[in-house]
Amino acid sequence: MKRAWGATGLALAMLASLGVGISYGDATSQSKPASAKDVATELQARAQQYLDLRKQFAGTPPKSTDSPEVVAGSQRALGNKIQVARAGAKQGEVFTPRVANYLRKRLASALKGAHGKQIHSSLRSAEPVNIELHINQNYPENVPLQSTPPSLLLTLPQLPDGLEYRLLGRELVLRDMEANIVVDYIPNALPTAKTK
Amino acid sequence: MKHRKSTQWLIISLVFVTTLVQAQVAAKPNLTIKLPLQKNSVRFAVIGDSGTGDKEQYEVAREMETYRQAVEFDFVIMLGDNIYGGHSARDLSQKFELPYKPLLDAGVKFYASLGNHDDPDIESRYRPFNMNGERYYTFKRGDTQFYALDSTYMDAKQLTWFEKNLQNASAPWKISFFHHPLYNDGKMHGPDMDLRSRLVPFFQLYGMNAVFSGHEHAYERIKPEDNVYYFILGNSGKLVHNDFHRSEKMETSFDRDRTFMLVEIVEDSLYFQTISRSGETIDSGQIARQAASVKAAGAK
Repeated sequence: MKRAWGATGLALAMLASLGVGISYGDATSQSKPASAKDVATELQARAQQYLDLRKQFAGTPPKSTDSPEVVAGSQRALGNKIQVARAGAKQGEVFTPRVANYLRKRLASALKGAHGKQIHSSLRSAEPVNIELHINQNYPENVPLQSTPPSLLLTLPQLPDGLEYRLLGRELVLRDMEANIVVDYIPNALPTAKTK
Repeated sequence: MKHRKSTQWLIISLVFVTTLVQAQVAAKPNLTIKLPLQKNSVRFAVIGDSGTGDKEQYEVAREMETYRQAVEFDFVIMLGDNIYGGHSARDLSQKFELPYKPLLDAGVKFYASLGNHDDPDIESRYRPFNMNGERYYTFKRGDTQFYALDSTYMDAKQLTWFEKNLQNASAPWKISFFHHPLYNDGKMHGPDMDLRSRLVPFFQLYGMNAVFSGHEHAYERIKPEDNVYYFILGNSGKLVHNDFHRSEKMETSFDRDRTFMLVEIVEDSLYFQTISRSGETIDSGQIARQAASVKAAGAK
């Protein structure tokens, strides 16, 4: 998969995945060992910060409507406002290195666990998605949303309403469902696929 | 100028669709109906992977309208991939409103479930899909409780919601519909094993009767598995030819053309008829409502 953030970012992520204390968030996101509760709290707080900002600058989407123009246009309008409000947003602001490391470990553990065989099978049968990711940009509307095996979702901390995890190949994406925005993502979130 | 062109295009499209539907109805006076058409029964149609906007989708839709006039089904369940590609206003019109206009005009309601090509936000808020802003939901018709699930994102919240609603269900018939099949002999995708491991225990515990899924671009009926009937219909718009490697679980399959289904529930029987784009009945039958499983009986 192509990277939108280049070799430097890749190197940083690799170091972070090895537990090296490099941070491109703030001081609270150093890669020190953390409990599941700490990480879930940190993720919830970061996700909520994003949602608060969204509410402040973009409002909330309208309810159900018969109008194709309104339903399609409102999502686009919401996304545009968020893109302006978060201009300059960087990868790792919500999925901080500490959160990312924890989530990688959770996913790897699930793949080796009791449901591992089924998860691998479901990943193989999902329609593969291979796109270039850009933080704070729209998830391309003509690209399918890869289904995420339930056993992987069940191993991840719950997100506030309006946000969802999505797998894209090996990446784990944090997607704003209502604005169709890529809020953040974790590169190489899934271990390298087994070759058989 | 642009607005005038769009209006002209819309009018031309509507006239074209209406003329074709009228011609089709006139040309097919004698339909083969395999349903009992009993008074006060629950009658619905099933489509999956429909939203291409291609002529084949329109042709299936025309055949549905032809059969609606005879069968008088009043709602349609959609098994996901309701809108392929973009989700602009024009996409929603071309891939849903125009092909199914005769059905919509006749008051037929559509109940959508989400596939991997769908936009959960746009489609759940699009009122003609009757999702009420939710990714998953339930509704009741007659003696049947329907559960529309989002199989692309089966998280803890949805599983909890599903179990709670199954616990509270009193309808004799329970039918689930969602995009990814739990059993399937297709070469393109095959079954979703992880989803199966999470949903089948609920089906067994609470006595699910029938499950409809799409995703695989063909039609397949599975032999009853754990006392549940499984139908896969993912070819109301898309199609993959020669898609199957037959297994012992397969009852029947069809991958030569697009299809839709008609279903009628009468007391303890469910009748089904699967029809191709050309109007040929490619599968039909009657299934009896299953007695609650041992686990379900124990749980009540």
